[in-house]
Amino acid sequence: MNGSLVQILEGNTFVVSDDRGDIEALANDPTGLFSYDTRFLSRWVLTVNGERLTALSTDDLQYFQARFFLVPGTGTVYVNATMTVIRQREVADGFHEELRVLNHSDEPVTLRIRIDAASDFADLFEVKDALQKQGTYQTRVIDGNLVLGYRRETYVRETWICSSQPADVDETGLQFSVTIPAHGEWATELDVVASDGGRHTLTDGRRVRTDMARGLEKWLSRAPHLRCDWEPLEQIYRRCLTDLAALRFSTLTMPGRSLPAAGLPWFMTIFGRDSIFTSLQALPFVPELAATTLRALAERQGTRIDDFRDEDPGRIMHEMRYGELTAFEERPHSPYYGTADATPLFVVLLDEYERWTGDTKLVRDLEQAARAALAWIDQYADLQGNGYISYQRRNPETGLENQCWKDSWDSISYRNGDLPGFPRATCELQGYAYDAKVRAARLARQVWHDESFADQLQKEAASLKRRFNRDFWVADGEYFAVALDCDGRQVDSLTSNIGHLLWSGIVEVSKARTVARHLMSPRLYSGWGVRTLAEGEARYNPIGYHTGAVWPFDNSFIAWGLRRYGFREEAAAIAAGVLEAAEVFAGRLPEAFGGYPRSLTRYPVEYPTACSPQAWSTGAPLLLLRTALGLEPHDDHLLIDPALPKRIGHLELLDVPGRWRRMDAFGRGRIDTNRFTAR
Amino acid sequence: MNDATEFGDPISTFFAELGKAGHVPTFERNSATMRFDVEDDGGRIGERWHVTVRGGDVAISRRNASADAVVRIPRPYLEALVTGRINATAAYLRGLLTCAGSTAALIMFQRCLPGPPGSTGRVAPISSAAVMAERSAA
Repeated sequence: MNGSLVQILEGNTFVVSDDRGDIEALANDPTGLFSYDTRFLSRWVLTVNGERLTALSTDDLQYFQARFFLVPGTGTVYVNATMTVIRQREVADGFHEELRVLNHSDEPVTLRIRIDAASDFADLFEVKDALQKQGTYQTRVIDGNLVLGYRRETYVRETWICSSQPADVDETGLQFSVTIPAHGEWATELDVVASDGGRHTLTDGRRVRTDMARGLEKWLSRAPHLRCDWEPLEQIYRRCLTDLAALRFSTLTMPGRSLPAAGLPWFMTIFGRDSIFTSLQALPFVPELAATTLRALAERQGTRIDDFRDEDPGRIMHEMRYGELTAFEERPHSPYYGTADATPLFVVLLDEYERWTGDTKLVRDLEQAARAALAWIDQYADLQGNGYISYQRRNPETGLENQCWKDSWDSISYRNGDLPGFPRATCELQGYAYDAKVRAARLARQVWHDESFADQLQKEAASLKRRFNRDFWVADGEYFAVALDCDGRQVDSLTSNIGHLLWSGIVEVSKARTVARHLMSPRLYSGWGVRTLAEGEARYNPIGYHTGAVWPFDNSFIAWGLRRYGFREEAAAIAAGVLEAAEVFAGRLPEAFGGYPRSLTRYPVEYPTACSPQAWSTGAPLLLLRTALGLEPHDDHLLIDPALPKRIGHLELLDVPGRWRRMDAFGRGRIDTNRFTAR
Repeated sequence: MNDATEFGDPISTFFAELGKAGHVPTFERNSATMRFDVEDDGGRIGERWHVTVRGGDVAISRRNASADAVVRIPRPYLEALVTGRINATAAYLRGLLTCAGSTAALIMFQRCLPGPPGSTGRVAPISSAAVMAERSAA
């Protein structure tokens, strides 16, 4: 691979190439043209007179568009090159590529320009796990187009490649024999279209990219405008909105409406948890994402018992995939339901969305879905019969072991490092369940007009809160256990999960100050953010994915929780730390960074295998802005109660959309956060 | 044409029960029409089922009427669908059925299909010791 990778995308179609624009994928390497979780091109190599090219420069013009300036030859001596090759590529239902060759000499040149093309039609899961294909390949030349095909029984996928200039097409690629006059130019347009073997539409590339550019401009202009004394925040804000636009994803059932996918490149699909959290973060800025997320998840809500998919009636899905292994039921992602938090969070989002937008129609449309979700909490999620949500996979081969956001194998442990058995009842799930019941009670009273259901939900919530504060409270540490194990015993390590408890409101006021003190203690707070697991626990590791790393998304919800209980300074410190980290990453926060003390590394250390941009990291600065400005809908008004870090100075957020139509929010940074962040 | 009450035919039984239910809560506030064109062994359409959903109320007929979604499917696969032996979304991705028109209607409809016959919703608990032993073995 020559140089760094370039990736562009639109929806769930994306291209990952080298810095020349070439694709030479190995079996388990994530380069190529991907669409609907399938690789449609694994080879796309340009040569001129049999020679590879060298990149002079590469520009990511937009998230869906890149331009490569190339010269022939692979050596370092290209100063004498008399030819430039420009490839400009846009992603659509595949991609569109404009190839231009400029002759700078005062002699005509005759060239053999060739593009080698091939596809292995790998499922993303096969790329990750390097699995073997079971079907057969067929390559055809049809009406001057190169058609790469794959078939396994009735499953057919094809890649159509066509050129605007006549080409000699053979089964391994397209070749152009051209003569370019002195100081002249030759160009062709190439379309690569991903197809399921039925109708293949060769989209008009020019129209598509104009639409996309216009779409991005409109998206940016419709979001609230931000002005700030601390310039990096303006850059961070713009980056977040642009990345969020790139992460938009349309389902097959709702074309033209988008919801946030989870991340690039592996996670361009609906995830219950990620799409909900990101929609919550983005609510004050782009509320329509939440509406699409809610509708899409309701469409796919579980209705039956299916052990392979960990599906139950009322359960909200975890992950949807479209590739070959899902099609043949060799993977359960059609969709897979193994998540214990998305169901209560679905109800939380529905209520929060209505509080911001006043869209009671959606709340009425989704009444049945919300009721089914609430029923799931009590009937299907209470695996131990103790009144708490627990999880345990019923698909031991390809299901998920940990069905909470900390989903790696070692994320939930006792202080001594031992791992609990299953089922596991992690603490934040109980918080989400409490919040779901409280919020659903409001919806039942105000929108569904069902007083008795509202009363019942409120009673259940109060009882859950009482029991939880008794059963999860670790007396000798004065914090909440991360989980109850399968014997009802406390899993007693100190974790960031206690911050989510503040967000949900399940924490009794008398315990809140102690919880906040733990969150900001040197064991949990690094100076950049709250670590997933506290220093001093047996499994603590500053670069452990869920055992010590700092997650921006996690911190944004912790800050929201701190504000909820009135800890203004602490919330401002979390915002300051994460936003200063975002400044270091040029506005694009990674999924996670190391939990090292800030004074040790000076810069946040990016977690090695994290994907980027990732939706809920992209949403984190947005939620931190909301919490720092203290934006809270109250009936038809937007309350503003700023608690901003001093460094931010004057901050304006203009035209915040909501049931009040548009409102401006202003604040001035007055909180000195140094006593927390100087660590 | 098969009689809707024909004994032992899972497809007839499924649609008969769906029609008898009259109101399906999971379809509440949804409206759509669907037609299943069922292919016989020779690939010809030998049988049709028309489903109308209006605000959660369901009506079944054998009419060859227009629909928001027209699903064409060989009989053995429809039989597998209505008995939970294959998953509708997977079948769609796999090309076992084609859906002309509204994919949303198909996605809505699959909510009333049963789960796999062997699924119980139950699993035996695993102890901490077993989890630790498995990890140290790995």
